[in-house]
Amino acid sequence: MAVHVYAVTLRDHPCRVEDLTGVGGDGTPVRVLAAGGLKAVVSDCAEDLRPKRRDVAAHQAVLERLMADGTPLPVRFGYTAAGDDSVREVVTAQADVHLAALARVRDCAEYNVKAWREQDLLLREILDESPRARRLNREILAGASDPRLPLELGQLVAAEVQFRHTRASGELIQALVPLARAHVVHPPVGEDFLNLSLLVPRDDGGPLLAEHARLARDGGAGVHTRVAGPLPPYSFVP
Amino acid sequence: MTMVPQGAGPVAGRSGGGNTSSLYDVLELILDRGLVIDAFVRVSVVGIELLKIDARIVVASVDTYLRFAEACNRLDLEAGPNAPATLPDVVGKTLEGGSKGKAKGALSGALEAVTQSLTGGRDEDEEEADEDEYEEPAEEDEAEGDEAEEDEAEAEAEEAEDDEGPEPEPEPAPRRRRSSRRPVQRERG
Repeated sequence: MAVHVYAVTLRDHPCRVEDLTGVGGDGTPVRVLAAGGLKAVVSDCAEDLRPKRRDVAAHQAVLERLMADGTPLPVRFGYTAAGDDSVREVVTAQADVHLAALARVRDCAEYNVKAWREQDLLLREILDESPRARRLNREILAGASDPRLPLELGQLVAAEVQFRHTRASGELIQALVPLARAHVVHPPVGEDFLNLSLLVPRDDGGPLLAEHARLARDGGAGVHTRVAGPLPPYSFVP
Repeated sequence: MTMVPQGAGPVAGRSGGGNTSSLYDVLELILDRGLVIDAFVRVSVVGIELLKIDARIVVASVDTYLRFAEACNRLDLEAGPNAPATLPDVVGKTLEGGSKGKAKGALSGALEAVTQSLTGGRDEDEEEADEDEYEEPAEEDEAEGDEAEEDEAEAEAEEAEDDEGPEPEPEPAPRRRRSSRRPVQRERG
Protein backbone atom coordinates (compact mmCIF):
# COMPACT_ATOMS: atom_id res chain seq x y z
CA MET A 1 0.00 0.00 0.00
CA ALA A 2 1.40 3.40 -1.02
CA VAL A 3 0.76 6.61 0.88
CA HIS A 4 -0.32 9.88 -0.67
CA VAL A 5 1.35 12.93 0.85
CA TYR A 6 -0.64 16.13 1.32
CA ALA A 7 1.44 18.49 3.38
CA VAL A 8 4.31 19.06 5.74
CA THR A 9 3.67 21.14 8.86
CA LEU A 10 5.46 22.30 11.97
CA ARG A 11 5.34 19.85 14.85
CA ASP A 12 3.08 22.11 16.91
CA HIS A 13 0.39 22.24 14.20
CA PRO A 14 -2.79 20.56 15.52
CA CYS A 15 -3.49 18.89 12.14
CA ARG A 16 -7.20 18.35 12.79
CA VAL A 17 -7.79 16.11 9.81
CA GLU A 18 -9.17 12.93 11.43
CA ASP A 19 -12.64 13.36 9.96
CA LEU A 20 -11.41 13.92 6.41
CA THR A 21 -11.08 11.24 3.77
CA GLY A 22 -8.21 11.09 1.35
CA VAL A 23 -7.69 10.49 -2.33
CA GLY A 24 -8.99 7.36 -3.99
CA GLY A 25 -12.67 7.84 -3.26
CA ASP A 26 -12.86 4.81 -0.96
CA GLY A 27 -13.18 6.66 2.34
CA THR A 28 -9.57 6.14 3.42
CA PRO A 29 -8.91 8.37 6.44
CA VAL A 30 -6.27 11.08 6.45
CA ARG A 31 -3.48 10.47 9.00
CA VAL A 32 -0.63 12.42 10.55
CA LEU A 33 2.95 11.16 10.88
CA ALA A 34 5.53 12.71 13.17
CA ALA A 35 8.75 13.13 11.23
CA GLY A 36 11.61 14.65 13.17
CA GLY A 37 10.64 18.19 14.12
CA LEU A 38 7.83 18.14 11.58
CA LYS A 39 4.60 16.41 10.71
CA ALA A 40 3.56 14.87 7.43
CA VAL A 41 -0.11 14.54 6.51
CA VAL A 42 -0.82 11.39 4.50
CA SER A 43 -3.41 8.78 3.59
CA ASP A 44 -3.13 5.25 2.25
CA CYS A 45 -3.77 4.84 -1.43
CA ALA A 46 -3.53 2.23 -4.15
CA GLU A 47 -0.14 1.78 -5.79
CA ASP A 48 -1.71 2.37 -9.17
CA LEU A 49 -3.88 5.31 -8.15
CA ARG A 50 -5.39 6.95 -11.20
CA PRO A 51 -6.49 10.27 -9.82
CA LYS A 52 -9.62 12.12 -10.80
CA ARG A 53 -10.92 15.58 -10.10
CA ARG A 54 -12.61 14.35 -6.95
CA ASP A 55 -9.14 13.45 -5.67
CA VAL A 56 -7.82 16.90 -6.44
CA ALA A 57 -10.73 18.25 -4.43
CA ALA A 58 -9.89 15.88 -1.55
CA HIS A 59 -6.29 17.09 -1.62
CA GLN A 60 -7.42 20.69 -1.56
CA ALA A 61 -9.88 20.01 1.28
CA VAL A 62 -7.11 18.59 3.48
CA LEU A 63 -4.95 21.64 2.84
CA GLU A 64 -7.79 24.07 3.47
CA ARG A 65 -8.38 22.36 6.80
CA LEU A 66 -4.72 22.64 7.73
CA MET A 67 -4.71 26.31 6.71
CA ALA A 68 -7.24 27.05 9.45
CA ASP A 69 -4.65 26.36 12.17
CA GLY A 70 -1.42 27.52 10.59
CA THR A 71 0.10 27.65 7.14
CA PRO A 72 1.35 24.24 5.96
CA LEU A 73 3.69 23.41 3.11
CA PRO A 74 1.35 22.05 0.46
CA VAL A 75 2.82 19.12 -1.42
CA ARG A 76 2.08 19.13 -5.13
CA PHE A 77 -0.85 16.87 -5.91
CA GLY A 78 -0.12 13.27 -6.70
CA TYR A 79 3.10 12.50 -4.83
CA THR A 80 3.15 9.09 -3.21
CA ALA A 81 5.70 7.26 -1.12
CA ALA A 82 6.17 3.54 -0.60
CA GLY A 83 5.02 3.70 3.03
CA ASP A 84 5.02 5.62 6.31
CA ASP A 85 8.67 4.88 6.99
CA SER A 86 9.69 6.25 3.64
CA VAL A 87 7.79 9.48 4.32
CA ARG A 88 9.32 9.88 7.78
CA GLU A 89 12.78 9.24 6.43
CA VAL A 90 12.58 11.69 3.54
CA VAL A 91 10.86 14.48 5.46
CA THR A 92 13.31 14.15 8.33
CA ALA A 93 16.27 14.18 5.98
CA GLN A 94 15.07 17.40 4.37
CA ALA A 95 13.90 19.00 7.62
CA ASP A 96 16.11 22.07 7.22
CA VAL A 97 14.70 22.87 3.82
CA HIS A 98 11.14 22.36 5.04
CA LEU A 99 11.65 24.47 8.15
CA ALA A 100 13.08 27.31 6.09
CA ALA A 101 10.17 27.08 3.66
CA LEU A 102 7.67 27.03 6.52
CA ALA A 103 9.29 30.14 7.97
CA ARG A 104 8.86 31.96 4.66
CA VAL A 105 5.13 31.26 4.43
CA ARG A 106 4.41 31.49 8.14
CA ASP A 107 1.12 33.28 8.82
CA CYS A 108 0.68 33.89 5.12
CA ALA A 109 -1.76 32.71 2.49
CA GLU A 110 -1.74 32.74 -1.28
CA TYR A 111 -4.19 34.78 -3.30
CA ASN A 112 -4.47 33.98 -6.96
CA VAL A 113 -5.70 36.70 -9.27
CA LYS A 114 -6.81 36.00 -12.80
CA ALA A 115 -8.03 38.47 -15.38
CA TRP A 116 -9.64 38.28 -18.79
CA ARG A 117 -11.07 40.82 -21.15
CA GLU A 118 -14.36 40.85 -23.02
CA GLN A 119 -13.48 40.14 -26.58
CA ASP A 120 -16.02 42.41 -28.24
CA LEU A 121 -14.85 45.46 -26.37
CA LEU A 122 -11.22 44.60 -27.02
CA LEU A 123 -11.81 44.16 -30.75
CA ARG A 124 -13.73 47.42 -30.91
CA GLU A 125 -10.86 49.18 -29.25
CA ILE A 126 -8.39 47.68 -31.72
CA LEU A 127 -10.48 48.63 -34.75
CA ASP A 128 -10.91 52.05 -33.24
CA GLU A 129 -7.21 52.64 -32.84
CA SER A 130 -5.78 50.83 -35.85
CA PRO A 131 -6.56 52.41 -39.23
CA ARG A 132 -5.09 49.39 -40.98
CA ALA A 133 -7.36 46.95 -39.16
CA ARG A 134 -10.31 49.21 -39.87
CA ARG A 135 -9.49 49.36 -43.56
CA LEU A 136 -9.08 45.58 -43.82
CA ASN A 137 -12.33 45.02 -41.97
CA ARG A 138 -14.14 47.41 -44.29
CA GLU A 139 -12.75 45.76 -47.40
CA ILE A 140 -13.84 42.32 -46.23
CA LEU A 141 -17.31 43.55 -45.35
CA ALA A 142 -17.57 45.22 -48.74
CA GLY A 143 -17.15 41.78 -50.25
CA ALA A 144 -13.46 41.68 -51.20
CA SER A 145 -12.78 38.09 -52.09
CA ASP A 146 -9.01 37.98 -51.57
CA PRO A 147 -8.57 35.23 -48.96
CA ARG A 148 -5.43 36.93 -47.68
CA LEU A 149 -7.42 39.83 -46.27
CA PRO A 150 -9.05 37.97 -43.37
CA LEU A 151 -5.72 36.35 -42.60
CA GLU A 152 -3.97 39.69 -42.55
CA LEU A 153 -6.69 41.24 -40.42
CA GLY A 154 -6.67 38.31 -38.02
CA GLN A 155 -2.92 38.33 -37.67
CA LEU A 156 -2.88 42.05 -37.03
CA VAL A 157 -5.66 41.75 -34.48
CA ALA A 158 -4.01 38.77 -32.75
CA ALA A 159 -0.80 40.80 -32.32
CA GLU A 160 -2.79 43.74 -30.97
CA VAL A 161 -4.65 41.46 -28.57
CA GLN A 162 -1.35 40.10 -27.32
CA PHE A 163 0.09 43.58 -26.90
CA ARG A 164 -2.94 44.86 -25.05
CA HIS A 165 -3.09 41.82 -22.80
CA THR A 166 0.55 42.26 -21.87
CA ARG A 167 -0.02 45.90 -21.10
CA ALA A 168 -3.13 45.28 -19.01
CA SER A 169 -1.42 42.46 -17.18
CA GLY A 170 1.51 44.75 -16.36
CA GLU A 171 -0.82 47.35 -14.94
CA LEU A 172 -2.61 44.87 -12.70
CA ILE A 173 0.66 43.40 -11.48
CA GLN A 174 1.97 46.86 -10.68
CA ALA A 175 -1.14 47.68 -8.69
CA LEU A 176 -1.32 44.45 -6.69
CA VAL A 177 2.27 43.42 -6.02
CA PRO A 178 3.00 46.21 -3.50
CA LEU A 179 0.33 44.67 -1.28
CA ALA A 180 2.04 41.30 -1.13
CA ARG A 181 5.06 39.89 0.61
CA ALA A 182 6.02 37.93 -2.50
CA HIS A 183 4.53 37.23 -5.89
CA VAL A 184 4.77 34.83 -8.80
CA VAL A 185 3.45 35.43 -12.30
CA HIS A 186 2.19 32.17 -13.78
CA PRO A 187 1.39 31.55 -17.44
CA PRO A 188 -2.24 32.51 -18.03
CA VAL A 189 -4.67 29.66 -18.61
CA GLY A 190 -7.33 29.59 -21.32
CA GLU A 191 -8.63 33.02 -22.19
CA ASP A 192 -7.17 34.75 -19.18
CA PHE A 193 -4.38 37.23 -19.75
CA LEU A 194 -3.21 37.30 -16.14
CA ASN A 195 -2.46 34.57 -13.63
CA LEU A 196 -0.81 36.14 -10.62
CA SER A 197 -0.16 34.58 -7.24
CA LEU A 198 0.46 36.78 -4.24
CA LEU A 199 1.70 35.83 -0.79
CA VAL A 200 -0.17 37.92 1.74
CA PRO A 201 -0.23 37.89 5.57
CA ARG A 202 -3.19 35.66 6.27
CA ASP A 203 -5.13 38.00 8.48
CA ASP A 204 -4.42 40.87 6.20
CA GLY A 205 -6.04 40.01 2.90
CA GLY A 206 -8.26 43.09 3.31
CA PRO A 207 -6.08 45.63 1.47
CA LEU A 208 -5.59 43.21 -1.39
CA LEU A 209 -9.29 42.53 -1.72
CA ALA A 210 -10.01 46.26 -1.41
CA GLU A 211 -7.54 47.06 -4.17
CA HIS A 212 -9.04 44.28 -6.22
CA ALA A 213 -12.47 45.76 -5.71
CA ARG A 214 -11.15 49.19 -6.68
CA LEU A 215 -9.66 47.78 -9.87
CA ALA A 216 -12.92 45.99 -10.52
CA ARG A 217 -14.85 49.26 -10.43
CA ASP A 218 -12.61 51.12 -12.84
CA GLY A 219 -13.06 51.46 -16.51
CA GLY A 220 -15.67 50.04 -18.80
CA ALA A 221 -12.89 48.49 -20.83
CA GLY A 222 -14.35 45.05 -20.26
CA VAL A 223 -11.57 43.80 -18.02
CA HIS A 224 -12.78 41.22 -15.51
CA THR A 225 -10.73 39.92 -12.63
CA ARG A 226 -11.37 37.15 -10.17
CA VAL A 227 -9.51 36.36 -7.02
CA ALA A 228 -9.20 33.05 -5.21
CA GLY A 229 -7.95 32.95 -1.67
CA PRO A 230 -6.83 32.63 0.99
CA LEU A 231 -5.25 29.48 -0.40
CA PRO A 232 -2.46 27.24 0.82
CA PRO A 233 0.78 28.75 -0.50
CA TYR A 234 1.18 26.44 -3.49
CA SER A 235 3.25 28.93 -5.43
CA PHE A 236 5.61 29.82 -2.60
CA VAL A 237 7.24 26.55 -1.66
CA PRO A 238 10.40 24.98 -3.06
CA MET B 1 -14.76 46.04 -15.15
CA THR B 2 -16.47 43.50 -13.01
CA MET B 3 -15.23 41.63 -10.03
CA VAL B 4 -16.06 37.99 -9.89
CA PRO B 5 -15.31 36.67 -6.45
CA GLN B 6 -14.84 32.96 -6.27
CA GLY B 7 -18.33 31.73 -5.59
CA ALA B 8 -18.66 30.36 -2.11
CA GLY B 9 -14.90 30.12 -1.73
CA PRO B 10 -12.98 31.26 1.30
CA VAL B 11 -13.03 34.84 0.11
CA ALA B 12 -16.66 35.02 1.07
CA GLY B 13 -16.39 33.02 4.23
CA ARG B 14 -13.08 32.15 5.80
CA SER B 15 -14.28 28.94 7.33
CA GLY B 16 -11.63 27.04 5.43
CA GLY B 17 -14.00 24.29 4.45
CA GLY B 18 -14.27 22.62 1.07
CA ASN B 19 -13.59 25.02 -1.73
CA THR B 20 -14.77 23.09 -4.72
CA SER B 21 -16.57 26.01 -6.32
CA SER B 22 -13.26 27.58 -7.22
CA LEU B 23 -11.50 24.31 -7.90
CA TYR B 24 -11.31 25.03 -11.58
CA ASP B 25 -9.48 28.27 -10.98
CA VAL B 26 -6.96 26.76 -8.60
CA LEU B 27 -6.57 23.46 -10.41
CA GLU B 28 -3.32 24.40 -12.07
CA LEU B 29 -1.90 25.54 -8.74
CA ILE B 30 -2.71 22.21 -7.12
CA LEU B 31 -1.37 20.23 -10.08
CA ASP B 32 1.62 22.34 -11.10
CA ARG B 33 2.75 24.07 -7.91
CA GLY B 34 3.35 22.96 -4.38
CA LEU B 35 6.22 21.21 -2.70
CA VAL B 36 8.03 18.68 -4.85
CA ILE B 37 9.76 15.88 -2.99
CA ASP B 38 12.04 14.13 -5.43
CA ALA B 39 12.27 10.97 -3.41
CA PHE B 40 8.53 10.40 -3.82
CA VAL B 41 6.85 9.04 -6.91
CA ARG B 42 4.32 11.12 -8.75
CA VAL B 43 1.21 9.41 -10.02
CA SER B 44 0.16 10.26 -13.54
CA VAL B 45 -2.17 13.23 -13.59
CA VAL B 46 -2.47 13.25 -17.35
CA GLY B 47 -6.21 12.69 -17.37
CA ILE B 48 -6.79 15.65 -15.12
CA GLU B 49 -4.33 17.93 -16.84
CA LEU B 50 -5.92 17.34 -20.21
CA LEU B 51 -8.92 19.30 -19.11
CA LYS B 52 -6.71 22.31 -18.63
CA ILE B 53 -4.65 21.80 -21.74
CA ASP B 54 -7.83 21.70 -23.78
CA ALA B 55 -8.63 25.16 -22.59
CA ARG B 56 -5.33 26.56 -23.79
CA ILE B 57 -5.78 28.14 -27.15
CA VAL B 58 -2.91 28.58 -29.53
CA VAL B 59 -3.19 32.23 -30.37
CA ALA B 60 -0.72 32.26 -33.24
CA SER B 61 -2.45 29.99 -35.74
CA VAL B 62 -4.19 30.51 -39.04
CA ASP B 63 -7.49 29.36 -37.61
CA THR B 64 -7.27 31.82 -34.78
CA TYR B 65 -6.48 34.60 -37.23
CA LEU B 66 -9.55 33.71 -39.23
CA ARG B 67 -11.68 33.62 -36.11
CA PHE B 68 -10.43 37.04 -35.07
CA ALA B 69 -11.18 38.39 -38.52
CA GLU B 70 -14.70 36.94 -38.39
CA ALA B 71 -15.26 38.38 -34.95
CA CYS B 72 -14.21 41.82 -36.24
CA ASN B 73 -16.49 41.50 -39.24
CA ARG B 74 -19.42 40.82 -36.94
CA LEU B 75 -19.00 43.94 -34.86
CA ASP B 76 -21.26 46.79 -35.73
CA LEU B 77 -18.84 49.65 -35.73
CA GLU B 78 -21.32 52.37 -36.54
CA ALA B 79 -23.04 51.80 -33.26
CA GLY B 80 -21.22 52.04 -29.95
CA PRO B 81 -21.07 48.98 -27.75
CA ASN B 82 -24.21 50.09 -25.94
CA ALA B 83 -26.13 51.50 -28.87
CA PRO B 84 -29.42 49.88 -29.81
CA ALA B 85 -28.77 46.90 -31.99
CA THR B 86 -29.54 47.01 -35.65
CA LEU B 87 -30.78 43.89 -37.33
CA PRO B 88 -27.44 42.60 -38.59
CA ASP B 89 -26.03 43.18 -35.15
CA VAL B 90 -28.81 41.25 -33.50
CA VAL B 91 -28.07 38.37 -35.78
CA GLY B 92 -24.39 38.75 -35.06
CA LYS B 93 -25.00 38.60 -31.35
CA THR B 94 -27.13 35.57 -31.78
CA LEU B 95 -24.34 33.96 -33.71
CA GLU B 96 -21.84 34.58 -31.00
CA GLY B 97 -24.31 33.90 -28.26
CA GLY B 98 -25.53 30.59 -27.06
CA SER B 99 -23.67 28.78 -24.37
CA LYS B 100 -20.33 30.45 -25.03
CA GLY B 101 -21.37 33.97 -24.28
CA LYS B 102 -20.75 36.69 -26.76
CA ALA B 103 -17.63 37.95 -25.07
CA LYS B 104 -15.66 34.80 -25.69
CA GLY B 105 -16.63 34.08 -29.24
CA ALA B 106 -13.52 33.86 -31.34
CA LEU B 107 -11.20 32.25 -28.86
CA SER B 108 -13.65 29.58 -27.84
CA GLY B 109 -14.32 29.07 -31.47
CA ALA B 110 -10.70 28.36 -32.27
CA LEU B 111 -10.99 24.67 -31.49
CA GLU B 112 -14.13 24.50 -33.55
CA ALA B 113 -12.24 26.15 -36.37
CA VAL B 114 -9.54 23.53 -36.17
CA THR B 115 -12.16 20.83 -36.45
CA GLN B 116 -13.78 22.59 -39.35
CA SER B 117 -10.54 23.04 -41.22
CA LEU B 118 -9.79 19.37 -40.74
CA THR B 119 -13.14 18.24 -42.00
CA GLY B 120 -13.41 20.32 -45.13
CA GLY B 121 -12.99 23.58 -46.94
CA ARG B 122 -14.32 26.58 -45.12
CA ASP B 123 -15.63 28.74 -47.90
CA GLU B 124 -18.10 26.52 -49.61
CA ASP B 125 -19.36 24.80 -46.53
CA GLU B 126 -19.47 27.90 -44.50
CA GLU B 127 -22.97 29.03 -45.00
CA GLU B 128 -24.41 25.66 -44.34
CA ALA B 129 -22.27 25.28 -41.26
CA ASP B 130 -23.39 28.65 -40.03
CA GLU B 131 -26.99 27.69 -40.36
CA ASP B 132 -26.64 24.47 -38.49
CA GLU B 133 -24.55 25.96 -35.82
CA TYR B 134 -26.63 28.98 -35.08
CA GLU B 135 -30.15 27.89 -35.59
CA GLU B 136 -30.57 26.65 -32.10
CA PRO B 137 -29.29 29.66 -30.17
CA ALA B 138 -31.55 31.81 -32.31
CA GLU B 139 -34.55 29.89 -31.10
CA GLU B 140 -33.43 30.22 -27.54
CA ASP B 141 -33.24 33.96 -27.92
CA GLU B 142 -36.73 34.05 -29.20
CA ALA B 143 -37.96 32.20 -26.19
CA GLU B 144 -36.21 34.66 -23.95
CA GLY B 145 -38.05 37.58 -25.41
CA ASP B 146 -35.53 39.10 -27.75
CA GLU B 147 -38.25 39.21 -30.34
CA ALA B 148 -39.30 42.68 -29.40
CA GLU B 149 -35.81 44.00 -29.78
CA GLU B 150 -35.55 42.51 -33.20
CA ASP B 151 -38.87 43.87 -34.35
CA GLU B 152 -37.80 47.29 -33.29
CA ALA B 153 -34.56 46.88 -35.13
CA GLU B 154 -36.35 45.69 -38.20
CA ALA B 155 -38.66 48.65 -38.11
CA GLU B 156 -35.70 50.95 -37.94
CA ALA B 157 -33.99 49.28 -40.82
CA GLU B 158 -37.12 49.53 -42.85
CA GLU B 159 -37.59 53.21 -42.24
CA ALA B 160 -34.08 53.83 -43.35
CA GLU B 161 -34.66 51.85 -46.49
CA ASP B 162 -37.75 53.30 -48.09
CA ASP B 163 -39.79 54.98 -45.42
CA GLU B 164 -42.60 52.48 -45.48
CA GLY B 165 -43.30 53.06 -41.84
CA PRO B 166 -43.35 50.40 -39.16
CA GLU B 167 -45.32 47.21 -39.52
CA PRO B 168 -48.71 47.42 -37.88
CA GLU B 169 -48.37 44.04 -36.18
CA PRO B 170 -45.21 42.51 -34.83
CA GLU B 171 -44.35 39.72 -37.17
CA PRO B 172 -44.13 36.31 -35.51
CA ALA B 173 -40.51 36.38 -36.66
CA PRO B 174 -40.03 33.42 -38.92
CA ARG B 175 -36.33 32.78 -38.71
CA ARG B 176 -34.56 33.25 -41.94
CA ARG B 177 -31.51 31.17 -42.40
CA ARG B 178 -28.78 33.38 -43.55
CA SER B 179 -25.16 34.10 -42.96
CA SER B 180 -24.65 37.17 -40.84
CA ARG B 181 -22.09 38.62 -43.16
CA ARG B 182 -24.24 39.28 -46.11
CA PRO B 183 -26.32 42.40 -46.30
CA VAL B 184 -29.81 41.56 -45.17
CA GLN B 185 -32.32 41.18 -47.93
CA ARG B 186 -35.91 41.89 -47.22
CA GLU B 187 -38.32 39.07 -47.74
CA ARG B 188 -41.44 40.94 -46.87
CA GLY B 189 -43.29 42.60 -49.68
